[in-house]
Amino acid sequence: MKTLHPRIRLVWIARSLLAAVIVGAAGGAGSLYLDLPIEYPIAIAVVIFVVGTVHSILRYRKWRYVIREDSLYLERGVLTEVRTVVPLVRIQHVDSRRSAVERVLGLASTVVYTAGSRGADVRIPGLEPDTASDLRERLKRLAIEAEGEDAV
Amino acid sequence: MKLSPISVPYRGLQKGASLLLMLVFVASAGVGPIGGGFVVAIGGIVILSVSIGYELLYYRRFEYVLTEDTLDIRSGVLSRREREIPYRRIQNVDVRRNLVQRALGIAAVNVETAGGSSTEAVIQYVTVAAADSLQTDVRRRKRRSRGSSERDSASEPIESATELFSIEPSELALVGVLSFDPRVPGAVLALLSGSIPFVSPVLLPGDVSGVVLAIGVFVIGVAIISLSWIVGVVSAVVNFWGFRLTRTRDELQYERGLLQRYSGTIPFDKVQTVTIEDNPLKRRFGYATLVVETAGYAPGQGGGRGSEAAVPLASIDRVNRLAHELESFGEPAFTSPPSRVRTRYLIRYLIAIGVLSAIGGAIAWYVGTAFPWYLPVVAAVLTPIAAHYKWIHRGYWLGEDHLVTRNGFWTRERKVVPYYRIQTVIDSRTIFQRRWNIATVIADTAGSLSVMGADAAAVDIDDSYAPDLRAELSDRLQASLVEHRATIDRELGFEWVDETEGSDPSDDDAAPSLSETEPIDPPTDSSPVDTSDRASSLDRASSPDRSDEKSDDEQSSDR
Repeated sequence: MKTLHPRIRLVWIARSLLAAVIVGAAGGAGSLYLDLPIEYPIAIAVVIFVVGTVHSILRYRKWRYVIREDSLYLERGVLTEVRTVVPLVRIQHVDSRRSAVERVLGLASTVVYTAGSRGADVRIPGLEPDTASDLRERLKRLAIEAEGEDAV
Repeated sequence: MKLSPISVPYRGLQKGASLLLMLVFVASAGVGPIGGGFVVAIGGIVILSVSIGYELLYYRRFEYVLTEDTLDIRSGVLSRREREIPYRRIQNVDVRRNLVQRALGIAAVNVETAGGSSTEAVIQYVTVAAADSLQTDVRRRKRRSRGSSERDSASEPIESATELFSIEPSELALVGVLSFDPRVPGAVLALLSGSIPFVSPVLLPGDVSGVVLAIGVFVIGVAIISLSWIVGVVSAVVNFWGFRLTRTRDELQYERGLLQRYSGTIPFDKVQTVTIEDNPLKRRFGYATLVVETAGYAPGQGGGRGSEAAVPLASIDRVNRLAHELESFGEPAFTSPPSRVRTRYLIRYLIAIGVLSAIGGAIAWYVGTAFPWYLPVVAAVLTPIAAHYKWIHRGYWLGEDHLVTRNGFWTRERKVVPYYRIQTVIDSRTIFQRRWNIATVIADTAGSLSVMGADAAAVDIDDSYAPDLRAELSDRLQASLVEHRATIDRELGFEWVDETEGSDPSDDDAAPSLSETEPIDPPTDSSPVDTSDRASSLDRASSPDRSDEKSDDEQSSDR
């Protein structure tokens, strides 16, 4: 079982910081406009940030993935634990991608697409760019070897 | 081929009318009555002429061609679009006509492919004859592209179609009676909540006692429910008028509708799951509903659920027979979740009732009227029954080739998923499920209804068994794939023998030469030939929604 790169925590924390700032700014502007105490929106923003940070750390601890003989297996989730088996034959295509925050922190994600409806795209975040490309190539090769028909 | 010329004024009026309506709204809100009328008149003329002009260009640009392997569509006024949709990617060609279109003799053709919530191509509008011939031509070419042994089927003059199901008047009447449109209460509430400030002064002259208020709420509730029931009746009758389901050798054909006529086909090899639904009323009278789900076929986007091949209501026997005809899954013997789950449901219902009463109490306290907020507590008597039924209706069964799951406290549904159709297996535990050591295992398929979260799921099974079930499902998927390949190999073998011995010289030359060089070469070989080519074939197979490529220089099986 492989874990994600520890820096992914920073990506997630940055994201919750962003959410906290947006909520705080909107709430603060509203309070100023309506002449309400400014402490409440600030408190809400702080709570969002703290909860987001804790969640990010726990989320990192829970994340595991492994490529098995005929499937890709993932474990994740803090409040709801989710385990997904993606049979290699069902892989439709594989992407590796980097968002702006990921680029700043030198990380990348690999996204695996299936024709399914619920697990249609499975994202493995927090990979080093080389690992992400390797994973993409490897999954592509394995999917081709598995020779699946779409069954759709 | 072009669209029907009638489509120009029809589309123009259709598009213009909605803009016009918006204009009337804006004008009536913004300007006075006289000025408003003038603005509307001028605006209407401008809008209509622009939209008809646009549609004229659209008509001139729009063109569709049936080529050897693809359906090509060229369209677009401002941004041009050219699409080539390979026949074997097409899931369904459906034709629909509403009342006006029927009077004008035009029809809309929707071409559905897998992998998407949206229709791949919409051809609006062609003449009825053109729509029908498009439907049959696509079907024929599709079959031809699937295997050369079936090449002769194109010359088959008439296909033998057996009728599987046709709705009887009594059944249609029942569908109506048992229908209840849940969207209506929502819509009514949305409307009411907007007009509450206007209504409340009328309804509440001064101080009213809580009892009167409660009675008022009750009366409004009954009115809303009966209204939604009436809407349900009307929409059911209009939708399922003359419903017919027929099967040919490899397709399911349906036809239905009173005002708007729908017809289309669903190939058997595209069927993903089969669902049988009932509720206490239907069970009591021995009826059930059957829904056939195909990949990516999402008719009536946003219009709620929509498999066109859904049998709205039929006796349980007929439904079961039909379901087995589609998927022979045998007689399921369901495994229930552990009995502690029943206690969990009971507690959950009680908590819900508690929260509801608390909210009511808080409102009563805040408003200061003696509103009988404790009413929901009465429902607590029913919770053990509800919990029991919720529990007893849950279950799953692993059949020979199918996973069958059953869920639902009021609307009970059985989902039949062939192992072969499973896309991913997901098992999850929410924070609440963990307290009870239970888990949910979901078999995800490429069905279209599943987008709304109705996947086949074994809900609340014992935690210790969930990993086993997950592994079992993925093993059975692999086994079914192996089996499927074996059958394809066999069929291909026969095909090849067919080809060298029985092929006439007038056949296209590509296929025989191929079969000479590599006699028995199923598409599943793992010989390390050109991987690059295979890679591209994966890419191509990968995105069923990306149909802008010619695909079919591929493997012999695809011809």
